[in-house]
Amino acid sequence: MLMRRLVLAIPLLIGILFFTFMLIRLGGQDPVGLLAGPTATTEEIEIVRAELGLDKPLFTQFWLFLGDVVQGDIGKSWISNRSVTLDILERIPITLELLLWGVALGSVIGVPVGLRAAFRHDKWFDHISRGISLLGFSIPTYFLALLLLFVFFFLLGWSPPGMGRISLLISPPPTVTGSYLIDGLLAGDLEVARSAVAQLILPIIAVAIISAAPIVKHTRAIALEIISSDFVRFARASGLPSEKVSRIVLKNSSTPVTTFIGTELTGLVGSVSLIEFVFAWGGVGQYGLNAIIRGDFAAVQGYVLFLALFSLVVFIIVDLLVLVLEPRAVAE
Amino acid sequence: MSLLQVRDLHTHFISRNLDNEIRVAKALNGVSFEVSRGEVLGLVGETGAGKSLTAYSVMDLLKPPAKVVGGTVEFDGRNLRDLEAEDMNKLRGSEIAMVVQNPRSSLDPLTRVGEQLIRVHTAHTDTSESAARARAIEKLGAVGIPAPEQRMRAWPHELSGGMAQRVLIAMALMNEPKLIIADEPTTGLDVTVQAQILDLLRELVVTHNVAAMVITHDLGIVAHYCNRMAVMFAGRIVETGDVETVFDNPSHPYTRTLIASTPERLKEGKQKVLGGGAPPNLYNLPPGCHYVERCRFADESCNKPLSLDQVGDGHFAMCTRLDAVREGWPS
Ligand SMILES: Nc1ncnc2c1ncn2[C@@H]1O[C@H](COP(=O)(O)OP(=O)(O)O)[C@@H](O)[C@H]1O
Ligand code: SF4
Ligand SMILES: [Mg+2]
Repeated sequence: MLMRRLVLAIPLLIGILFFTFMLIRLGGQDPVGLLAGPTATTEEIEIVRAELGLDKPLFTQFWLFLGDVVQGDIGKSWISNRSVTLDILERIPITLELLLWGVALGSVIGVPVGLRAAFRHDKWFDHISRGISLLGFSIPTYFLALLLLFVFFFLLGWSPPGMGRISLLISPPPTVTGSYLIDGLLAGDLEVARSAVAQLILPIIAVAIISAAPIVKHTRAIALEIISSDFVRFARASGLPSEKVSRIVLKNSSTPVTTFIGTELTGLVGSVSLIEFVFAWGGVGQYGLNAIIRGDFAAVQGYVLFLALFSLVVFIIVDLLVLVLEPRAVAE
Repeated sequence: MSLLQVRDLHTHFISRNLDNEIRVAKALNGVSFEVSRGEVLGLVGETGAGKSLTAYSVMDLLKPPAKVVGGTVEFDGRNLRDLEAEDMNKLRGSEIAMVVQNPRSSLDPLTRVGEQLIRVHTAHTDTSESAARARAIEKLGAVGIPAPEQRMRAWPHELSGGMAQRVLIAMALMNEPKLIIADEPTTGLDVTVQAQILDLLRELVVTHNVAAMVITHDLGIVAHYCNRMAVMFAGRIVETGDVETVFDNPSHPYTRTLIASTPERLKEGKQKVLGGGAPPNLYNLPPGCHYVERCRFADESCNKPLSLDQVGDGHFAMCTRLDAVREGWPS
């Protein structure tokens, strides 16, 4: 299963690259004009165009591009004037820090709530939790992030302003992992770690809220299906005590719930960019969003490639987890 | 004195429609039967007659909106409907064991077969883990599973349907039950395996002196493996008696239709109970006999309330026009 996933991933990745490549090239924005500057003459523009290889046919461009990508070279961002690969690699831990903590918190809340809702099917807990998670579904990510800032920074003053990952008055720790929190702790600098945590709280809550709603909904649905399965009915018919029956339900929910959280992660890695934007987080998401808005070809390519590779890695990890959780998967 | 006596059992599905009006599907409408130790009762009827519902009503395992609304279930001197939920749970899987359709999907997919056998035993007794393990191996052997010690480590998905059904039977035996309820235990298994499983059940009833209730829509199974039978139609037992008596002298028009439509294939044990015609609407049942729309003997007298009347030795039928049926049936 794992091998098949990897083999299937290659044409998929090429397809994604091709699609975004063409979309951007045909999208109408011409970076050459921007790069060459407003005073450039026609000849100068053509020289820049040739330098960038943009005078060649599209398919040739794509082929050359693919060759570069395989070597880890996605091109140069004209915004930062640096290698996109480096730009992105540098920002991955920044986004992951936010995304993983957020989804972890969303799961820690969402999974038990979903399970309890299933066990209390059609009781008040079920109804209330469904109402709340509906609220979480309907609130736009961007608005939620702004609302949190408005309430907790502006109105209550409990939170620092959403201006990056650490207080502007504190200098960042030496980079080890890329997460200010972890690096601060590694450096033994509690001041840094404390500030990093303070900055993390609101965006993490934002991610947790938007991830918890679907996690509640799906965990509940998964558990309900298992509760009504033949084997749970049979466990009841065998007179197993209700704690044992519940444990059977939990155990059998673990694989589908894990798989769902993995799927969630791959979806959220995109929408987290809006949260990054509001909190000036400076991760891959914000980088990608910026690149899209400003038509930074190479950076957009890099961002899309990152999204695809991230999904691939998540699915591989989920596959491995399922292998641990499921005897059936091992057999296949 | 029979082990299980079900009297006038009523089970309804009570729900509300979109206009918030209460709607009642009367799925069981006065089911009465009994089973004794050492005998196999065949509960037979077309799909939707309420056979499984009868079993789950007896086991107190109904899911809402199904609810037992009347009748008594007397088991070994106790009225099960008066039992506390916890006591009822102790009874399930120990004194009354179930064998179900879809044995493969009825085993917990993430637990090895042996563990599942063991936990049924330890849930109901104070036995040590190792004693329960020894017992599980013994029971797997007793139901004819080769190399039982290795099988203990098998995962449910590694078992064939027939093997899984043997495991369920072994599981039923873990706590020396007094009654085994088998709901379509061989549906979906191929004919040879089907015969093996039913032979095994039959044999266990004799050797362990348990009572068994086999639910089936297959009249051939009743003919081959049961001592007594109860024919179910639209939530009622319409005829019951010794298998031979009923087959020799079927009294209810529905039973007659079933048997008449199957004579030669019955011997092959293949004929399914079809009977022909749609089942009555459970939301709006006729006031008297439920079979009235499909019965060619029906007249006004069939709209009066009915009872299970004795027609012979231990032989009962629920029909107001038994004489007319006896005379009018083409032979
Ligand atoms: N939720 C429900 N509401 C109303 N009627 C139901 C519901 N679920 C099942 N039934 C009815 O209960 C009857 C009994 O079903 P069941 O005991 O499974 O039949 P059998 O086992 O004889 O095939 C069926 O006629 C079915 O239509
Ligand atoms: S009571 Fe009437 S309708 Fe019912 S089976 Fe007898 S003759 Fe037919
Ligand atoms: Mg059934």
